Amino acid sequence: MAPINAVAVAIFIFFALLIFGVYAFFISSTRKPAVGEDYYKSVAKLRAPFFVILLLLLIAGLVLTLPKIPYPSKGKFPDAVVYVAGKQFNFALDTQPIESEERWKERAEAEPVQVPAGKWIEFRVTSLDVNHGFSLYDENGKLLGQTQAMPGYVNRLFIKFDKPGFYTAYCMELCGNSHHAMKGVIEVVEEGTFGAKILNQQ
Amino acid sequence: MAEIAIKAEAVEIEAKVKKLTLVWTGLTFILFPILGLLGFLMRLVQGNVFPMFPPEWFYSILTLHGVGMVGLWFVEGMIAVIYLLSKYVKPSAGVSWFSFTFTLIGVALIIISTIAGKFGAGWYFLYPLPYKSAEIWPNWATDLYLIGLGVLGIAWTVWVIDVLRAIAKKYTLNQALAWHYLAGKTEPELPPIILIVTVTCIGAITGFLAAVALLLLFLFDRVSGTPADPLLMKNLVFYFGHVLVNITMYLGVAILYETLPQYTQKPWKTNKLVAFAWNTVLFLVLFAYFHHLYMDFVQPKAFQIIGQFASYFISVPAAVVTIFSALAMIYKTKVNWTLGSSLIFLGTMGWAVGGVAAVIDSSIAVNFRFHNTLWVPAHFHTYFLMGVVLMILGFIYHFSQLHSNIPDNSKLAKFTVWLILIGGYGFLSMFYTGGALFVPRRYALYPPALSSGTTLAQISIVFVSILTIGFLLYLIQTIRRWARSF
Ligand code: HEM
Ligand SMILES: [Cu+2]
Ligand SMILES: [Cu+2]
Repeated sequence: MAPINAVAVAIFIFFALLIFGVYAFFISSTRKPAVGEDYYKSVAKLRAPFFVILLLLLIAGLVLTLPKIPYPSKGKFPDAVVYVAGKQFNFALDTQPIESEERWKERAEAEPVQVPAGKWIEFRVTSLDVNHGFSLYDENGKLLGQTQAMPGYVNRLFIKFDKPGFYTAYCMELCGNSHHAMKGVIEVVEEGTFGAKILNQQ
Repeated sequence: MAEIAIKAEAVEIEAKVKKLTLVWTGLTFILFPILGLLGFLMRLVQGNVFPMFPPEWFYSILTLHGVGMVGLWFVEGMIAVIYLLSKYVKPSAGVSWFSFTFTLIGVALIIISTIAGKFGAGWYFLYPLPYKSAEIWPNWATDLYLIGLGVLGIAWTVWVIDVLRAIAKKYTLNQALAWHYLAGKTEPELPPIILIVTVTCIGAITGFLAAVALLLLFLFDRVSGTPADPLLMKNLVFYFGHVLVNITMYLGVAILYETLPQYTQKPWKTNKLVAFAWNTVLFLVLFAYFHHLYMDFVQPKAFQIIGQFASYFISVPAAVVTIFSALAMIYKTKVNWTLGSSLIFLGTMGWAVGGVAAVIDSSIAVNFRFHNTLWVPAHFHTYFLMGVVLMILGFIYHFSQLHSNIPDNSKLAKFTVWLILIGGYGFLSMFYTGGALFVPRRYALYPPALSSGTTLAQISIVFVSILTIGFLLYLIQTIRRWARSF
């Protein structure tokens, strides 16, 4: 699992259990009510510290996650570019822009595009019909990242593949009755073999 | 003489509002089981229990379940609040009946569209899918769906405006928003429910305006063939959807502020803090929806960052003011725990847990891998199913018990609550696990490489069964009292 999401899940489990515990504690406190005393005020004293702690947690969350946003900055250049076009119900990938339906059909049925491992790959993602979601899953079902495939727009997704192998793009936006079956495949190869293969193809 | 006349009027209004509430809440007893069973059916299909189930049916059921549930709890929240508000102000019963009639028409159109027409673009009908279905559903199905939404939109806008009108008869806008409390005054005293409902209704109107723009752009495309901008359409639909879902939550909270004090014998008053909290909410709710577009990289980056800030900080007033106060209110206090008060109170727990999951997912860096995975239905089912739905169900019981005078069966109530909690949170834990494993949401079936989705759906069948028994027991106890209240 990608580390930041693993941390996110752990944080969630921690707080969910904490909340269950707090509720259990407060609800069971109503079993032996204290007569004549106003306990509201004694609890209310904790409000300010609670507020400060919550605020600090949120600020920490912002500071830790905002530097990790996936949007490419202007000055970022990839080592290779792959063009992606979604259309009901396939993703076509190519090293050249996919501008016509014929080209899309050809590419959707072709052998997977190859890219080198350990390099920044830029995916230029669009759609020829409705909204789709372009994602990249490794062979173990781990999601590396995603962006929307939207008609009329190109979303630039930067991904670095650590390991060679086949990666699958599943569709992440409801696009019709075969949404769950929509796919695209890309092959990641060792950097060394990559050059050799390109040469072989020429 | 005058006093007697006023009393007679109060009794008459009471009877009118009571009847209205009875009829409206009766709708829950029909729609909630149906929509809930559709949810059950979806988990069965996702668990591959019916391998031959046509996927297009799944997607139309998904659409009906989603739009139906959101709409149902919005209207039930509204009627609960109107009932509770009528202690202070007088929303028109006529408008509520109008809204009721139009809601039934809208619901009928949407049912025909999804069931007979197989419309399956999801509740959020992302442009341009509705008219580009790859010939799965006909264009008339989309027409009916959009007309149905339009009818609901008209009914609800009028309804919300009437509630604001009733409030405006007694309070000026800045009083209803408790600005005088911010300035340090406490006169005139403002019941918190008025403040919350004012915030809710203003938010609702902005959401409905976005929906109007959206529907007009759809119409324009349909009639003249001029395509709309898909990114603009996405902004509009998510603004509308996000606001509608959020304010429904606030309607639940309004119920909490008004009813919990009746069970703890402690007042819940507006003060500077409460006033500040709800005004902050009104401001932040306008920007939080940006988190639905995090994966649209062409959206201006500033919007994305604003979205994360707004989504993070909107949790503060909820946690520090409402949830904290609800807990403080019961601490070492004699609480009259009935099926009603238990569900209303426990609804705040779902709000808290779902809120944590929501804040986590509203971090852009996390959303990069959780967007449109099962994490999303996980978090919103937490603060819906285990949050506002429990609050509203609690209200319906509270109301029915009050008017029927049938005492609470506390043993059975306790058993019911446990079944709902175990079944509900168990069901949710399967969604969360699916999200943690990156299983995509809105999949009729899971591909072999993501087969953990299938297994999790199968396990969740056990929990949904428990949940179903819990809700069945709830319905038996409530309908009995409801029927006696007429
Ligand atoms: C009664 C128990 C319920 C069950 C078993 C259930 C089940 C489901 C399932 C299986 C999905 C599809 C998840 C996916 O793969 O994306 C779903 C989606 C959804 N549910 Fe529920 N649900 C229940 C209650 C509710 C409630 C109370 C609400 C209240 C608003 C709700 C609102 C929604 C919405 C809005 C969607 C999303 C539809 C979409 O993705 O377009 N559900 N539910
Ligand atoms: Cu797709
Ligand atoms: Cu899709």
